[in-house]
Amino acid sequence: MTFAVVFFAVAFLAFIGALTLVFHRHPVIAVLGMAAATVSIGVLYVMLHVPFLGLFQMIVYAGAVMVIALYVIMALGPEESGPQVGTVQTVLTYLASLLFLLHLYRVLIKSEIGPMPAVDEAFGSIQAFGGALVSRYAVPFELASLLLLGAMVGAVVLSRRQWQ
Amino acid sequence: MITIGHYLVLASFLFVVGLIGALTRKSAIIVFLAIELMLNSVNLVFLALGRYFGQLDGAVFVFFIMAVSAAEAAIGVAITVAFIRRNKTTAIDAANLMKW
Repeated sequence: MTFAVVFFAVAFLAFIGALTLVFHRHPVIAVLGMAAATVSIGVLYVMLHVPFLGLFQMIVYAGAVMVIALYVIMALGPEESGPQVGTVQTVLTYLASLLFLLHLYRVLIKSEIGPMPAVDEAFGSIQAFGGALVSRYAVPFELASLLLLGAMVGAVVLSRRQWQ
Repeated sequence: MITIGHYLVLASFLFVVGLIGALTRKSAIIVFLAIELMLNSVNLVFLALGRYFGQLDGAVFVFFIMAVSAAEAAIGVAITVAFIRRNKTTAIDAANLMKW
């Protein structure tokens, strides 16, 4: 019962935060809405029995990405602009979103939906997670480190070049 | 009783809101964050299904998606800053060099 109440509260907060990001005119408030949404999604990760990733989500998104986005907005001056209205692109976007949602629900109501099965305590533990990372997923793990190195070099090159 | 359907419905809402933001907003930073929101909602689906089937593979995938999105954040912010310095505006309509 408590679980359901917490779930709906957190889901509502995530949804409101996402709406704030997309529909608020002021960029700083929009980014703060996104921060609320990412923290709520992190809480949902914890409720899904993967507390490690929930913590990770809060540190990486609410900590790093949101602060960088706020920093960019503050450094370059906040510029107010809402979502576009009345263009062909807007109409097509809302139409495509609606069709996509309807299609997802058509799939969802056709499939069997059961309650979450019980899992043992070791399910989302760091031991199990680390074991998977260094055994079955060792190659992708190494490739991810190469990707991060490449991204770091690229960011330095991009920010050092002089743009006229 | 919270079923897997609740998680999937929430994730689909978040994905569609992020999609609308990515396609209708003008500010480059907001578009970037809307794409991050779409990534987050897909992560939620991965974790919910992984939990439902009792397998850890979903969580490992989410871990890798987070690594990719961290790389994307670093490059994306660098590109955004370069773009804003060059065009003196955050509006992505200014990126019309390859417009036909």
